[in-house]
Amino acid sequence: MRRERREQLQTGLMLAPSVLLLALFILLPLCVVFAYSFALRDPYGAVLPGFTLDNYRELVQGVYLRVLMNSFSLAAWTTGLCLLIGYPVAYFIAFKAGRAAPALLLLLLIPFWINFLIRISAWVVLLGRGGLINKALVFSGVIDEPIGMLGTVGATLVGMVYAFLPMAVFPIYAALTPIDRRLMEAGADLGAGPAETFARVTLPLSLPGVLAAALFVFVPSMGVFAIPVLLGGGKDIILGNLIVQLFLEFRNIPVGAAVSILLLGFSGLGILLYMRALRRVEAMK
Amino acid sequence: MTPHSGRQGWFVRRVVHGISGWVTLLTYLFMLLPIVVLIAFAFNAGKSTVVWTGFSFKWFEKVVSNRNILDALQVSLIVALASAAVSTAIGSVAAVAITRRSFPGRDVLGAALAAPLVLPEIVLGVALLVFMSFAGMILGYTTLIIGHVLVSIPFATLIVRAAASSLDPRLENAAADLGANEWQTFRMVTLPQLMPAIFTAFILSATLSFDNLVMSTFTSGVGTTTLPLRIYSMLKLGITPEINALGALMVLANVTILLLVMGRYLPLMLKTNRR
Repeated sequence: MRRERREQLQTGLMLAPSVLLLALFILLPLCVVFAYSFALRDPYGAVLPGFTLDNYRELVQGVYLRVLMNSFSLAAWTTGLCLLIGYPVAYFIAFKAGRAAPALLLLLLIPFWINFLIRISAWVVLLGRGGLINKALVFSGVIDEPIGMLGTVGATLVGMVYAFLPMAVFPIYAALTPIDRRLMEAGADLGAGPAETFARVTLPLSLPGVLAAALFVFVPSMGVFAIPVLLGGGKDIILGNLIVQLFLEFRNIPVGAAVSILLLGFSGLGILLYMRALRRVEAMK
Repeated sequence: MTPHSGRQGWFVRRVVHGISGWVTLLTYLFMLLPIVVLIAFAFNAGKSTVVWTGFSFKWFEKVVSNRNILDALQVSLIVALASAAVSTAIGSVAAVAITRRSFPGRDVLGAALAAPLVLPEIVLGVALLVFMSFAGMILGYTTLIIGHVLVSIPFATLIVRAAASSLDPRLENAAADLGANEWQTFRMVTLPQLMPAIFTAFILSATLSFDNLVMSTFTSGVGTTTLPLRIYSMLKLGITPEINALGALMVLANVTILLLVMGRYLPLMLKTNRR
């Protein structure tokens, strides 16, 4: 009996720091932000107590609605491209690279050794008017004179895919490697062509990895702010820029809080969709 | 279920099987070429990051004598080491409790500790900023370290949890049979087996902190500008080979750390495996 009590006390002591950390610095702050998103604001930027839905009403108006659409389409494009490129890469590493697989995985991590801003700066240089890509295109005769690629949505997308691709490759790779090759061979033995084997064996078995990859790319891409500024010229404002501006430049904390809660809602929706899809996929097996 | 049309067969044969190699090759060029170009132009004599005018080390000299960069580096190192220590300590203890003890709400805590992985970091940063000013805390080292702990703790916890759940309980039972008390068992049997994971968690946490921009944007104060924040403001003014030289130095530092870690830990890991 005493032993049990002591063990309970020990467990409590072990859990205290992490529970405190989560409650004090995640849960409580999020509650404060939630409360602020309904608050009023005096002309000097101070938050006044009160309850209004105006902060949210402002979000569904023209300017903010465009920001929302911009963020959503950027995140969706980034996720789509990362999956489209990441799947074949993960497939190659898992099934075809053989003994080179560990080296290939390590190579994918090398970019992380340099601060990601500096990596993005490499793309600013490469995509510039005098950059290597323009030079190569002019030299090969594809274009007559350098074209302006910086400051376009395309340039932002290049940077986004560059930053998030490894996040897509790793979960898909992790889902592909444990697939029993004998299952794939059995498919072939039973007369299925490579298409059918892929569509009915490999792809369904790797779907949980694909879903995880989509989640790991989509959620952070909704909140980026540096890449669109450096590569896209900051023309298309997205949620990330908006939050930074509202909090640090305009000091409009109530509307900033409303935007943050909205972004949180989107991520929550993403997680919910992910879990539902995962349950569906697992039920299929 | 899926109709097996000829076109789909072609698609899968070419794209998934035949072309996966090509996609991989192009992807690796896409990922690595910018870094090669970046490092090459760190040695450029001129001010351009595009036109090569000759070889020189002058941009490296500029970096190591730039007060702003050195100050920011110091801040980043302090925050990285401190936040990694806190995060690894809290995360490891929680991981051991979650895998070893049963208590109500165990699954909830496990999920909550992983939550910062899927919550947008910018929202966590904003929330922390609002809360800190609400509580009257001044932005500085403390707020930076707390913020970075939030970013790294999911990784620290998951790494140690994975290691703790794959431990062989028979070893601990054997220790108990041989008369070791609970603390001795933990100290001499469990902990040594977890050390590689704890060390990995520390390194990863420190790396994440050192590279962090988003959380730092909201939690750094006057005089605690981190290196990524400094780089961001430098980039907004324009790119000179000084940035490239800084990037090249970062690669060098990382390779050195990796070699040191491998030199220290590889023999240890091989020994554990043989045992």
